[in-house]
Amino acid sequence: MKSLGELKALREVVVAGIGITRWGVYPEQEWYDLGSEAVLLALKDAGMEFRDIQAAFCGSCYQGVGSGHQALAEIGKTGIPIVNVENACSSGSSAFRLAYQQIATELYDIVLAVGFEKQQHKGFIPSTAFRPWERLLGYNVQPANYAKGVVRYMEDYGATIEDFSLVTVKNRRNATMNPNARFQQEVTLEEVMSSRMIAKPLRLLHCCPLADGAAAAILCSRDKLKNKDRAVTVAASVLASGVYGEHETAGGSIKFPPAVGMVELSVRQAWELSGYGHEDMDVIQVYDAMSPGELWDIEKLGFCRPGQAPRLLREGVFDIGSRLPVNTDGGLMGRGHPMGATALAQIIEVVTQLRGEAGPRQVAGARVGLAHSMGAGPNSVVTILKR
Amino acid sequence: MVTAEKKQFPVLPGAWTTPSAPGEKPHLIGSRCPACGEVFFPRKPKGRCTHCQHDGLEEIKLSRQGKIFTFTVVTQPPGGGYYHGPVPYAFGLVRLPEGVYVESPLVADDLDALKVGMDVELVIGKVWGDSEGNELIGFKFRTVQSARKKEAAGEIAR
Ligand SMILES: [Zn+2]
Repeated sequence: MKSLGELKALREVVVAGIGITRWGVYPEQEWYDLGSEAVLLALKDAGMEFRDIQAAFCGSCYQGVGSGHQALAEIGKTGIPIVNVENACSSGSSAFRLAYQQIATELYDIVLAVGFEKQQHKGFIPSTAFRPWERLLGYNVQPANYAKGVVRYMEDYGATIEDFSLVTVKNRRNATMNPNARFQQEVTLEEVMSSRMIAKPLRLLHCCPLADGAAAAILCSRDKLKNKDRAVTVAASVLASGVYGEHETAGGSIKFPPAVGMVELSVRQAWELSGYGHEDMDVIQVYDAMSPGELWDIEKLGFCRPGQAPRLLREGVFDIGSRLPVNTDGGLMGRGHPMGATALAQIIEVVTQLRGEAGPRQVAGARVGLAHSMGAGPNSVVTILKR
Repeated sequence: MVTAEKKQFPVLPGAWTTPSAPGEKPHLIGSRCPACGEVFFPRKPKGRCTHCQHDGLEEIKLSRQGKIFTFTVVTQPPGGGYYHGPVPYAFGLVRLPEGVYVESPLVADDLDALKVGMDVELVIGKVWGDSEGNELIGFKFRTVQSARKKEAAGEIAR
C-alpha cells in the first residue's frame, strides 16, 4: 500500500472533457442511447476521438450484464478494456475514481468514465440492498429509511420538517438555471409541505425524482490535453465503505459506536491527499437523494457542526452567491437521479463551475470544489477538483 | 364447511423462541459475543462477531420490552411485490435493554400517535396474508398501551 507521500507524488490527472445529456423521462431511449450520447459530448468537449480512449469504466446500477460495452458499441469497438462498475448511487464517481487511478499510476494516459441509467418509473425501486426478510416486512422503501433518520434528527436537534423542505426549494431554484436538469420549475415551501406523504414525516417533494440520463468524463495526463485552458485537475478521489457500528438504515451499535464515520473517513483522506481544507472550497455538490440528506451530508463532511446546517440554510449560506454554494446545478432534487449517472454529474458540475462555464448559476471565481456521493452498501466517494 | 389450507411461513426462521409451556412467552433470539460483549439481532447463525471477528457467538434470549428509538409510518406500498400487508404501516428501531437495536414492524391502535421513547413489547403473530392464503408470521413490537387494551379485550393469547 502506498504511503500518503507516495500517493501525493502520483502523476497529475486532469479532466479533459465532460458530457451530460438532458435528464428526464425518455421512454423511447435505452441506456445505450443515453450513455453513448454523453460519451460523444465528452469527446467533443475534449477535442478527442473515440480511438484516443485507452480504457473505459462504465457505471450503472440496474442495467444488467455488459451494459457499458453495449453503450460504447454504439460508437465503436476498439478492443480497449471496458469494465462495468456497480457501486449503487456512487457508481459514476467510482468509475471516475478507477479512471483516475489508471492514469495516476501511469497504466494509461486517456481513460473514459461514463455513468448511465434508464429507470423504471413505476413506484419505488425494489432495492437489492435489502435482505429477503426485510423486503417481506416492507423495509425496502428508501424514503422510509431516511425518515427514520429524520425523526431522530428532529428529536436530537430540534429541526423541523420545514428545514428539510427548504432544501428542496433551494435546489429546485438552482435547477431552473441548469438546462440539463429534469425539473425546470421552482416549487414553493407550501407546495413541498403539502405534497403527498410517502413515509412520515417525508413527503413526495422531499424525495428526488427518478430520471433517465447519462454523464461522461474523459480523464488524461496533462501532456495529452488538446485544450489546456479548460483543464481541471483531480486533487483527490477517495472511496470508503461502511465502518462498524455506524447508524445506517438498520441502526448502529449501542456498545461500539465508531470514532469516525464513513463520510468523515472519506473526507478526511481527501483533505490529506489534496492538501485542502473546508475553507478552501468555493462550491460543493453533496448527496441529496432525500432533502434531509443534504443537511446531514454538509454536517458529516465537516462544513458545520451536527445540527447547525438547518440554520445556515435559512441564513442563505448555501445559496449561489453566498459563502458556500451547495448543489448549484439543482442536486439530485432538481436534476433527477439516474443512479449510475448521478455521482458523475456531481463531478461534472464542479468541473463546469471551475471552468467558469456554469452560466447564470456560476459561482464567481470558483477555483476549488468538492463532490460527495453516497450509495447503498454503504459507500462514500469524495472527489476534490481544482483549477 | 371446507376451509382452504393456510400456508404459514416465518419471516426469519429461528429468530424467536416458541413457548413450550402455558404462560410462557416468546422471546427474540439474539447473538452475544463472549469476547467483546457485542449483541446482535437477528442472531448470526454462522456464529461470527462482525465487531471483533471472534468465532463462537452465543445465542441469548432478548428482552420482550424496549423503547422506540426511531420509526416511520409508510403511506405508499413498497415496490417489488414482496410485502402484502396493510398500508399505511409502521416500522422502526426498538432499543432493548441488552444494548441492541431491533428493526421491527410496529403496531399500535393509532399509528399517528407513535412517538420516540414509547414503551413497546414483543408480539409474534401474523404480519400479513396474501391472496393465495399464505400467511407471513413474524415479530412485531406493539405499544404497551395498545397491548394492555387488547389483552383486556382477550385478543392476545400470549
Ligand atoms: Zn466480538
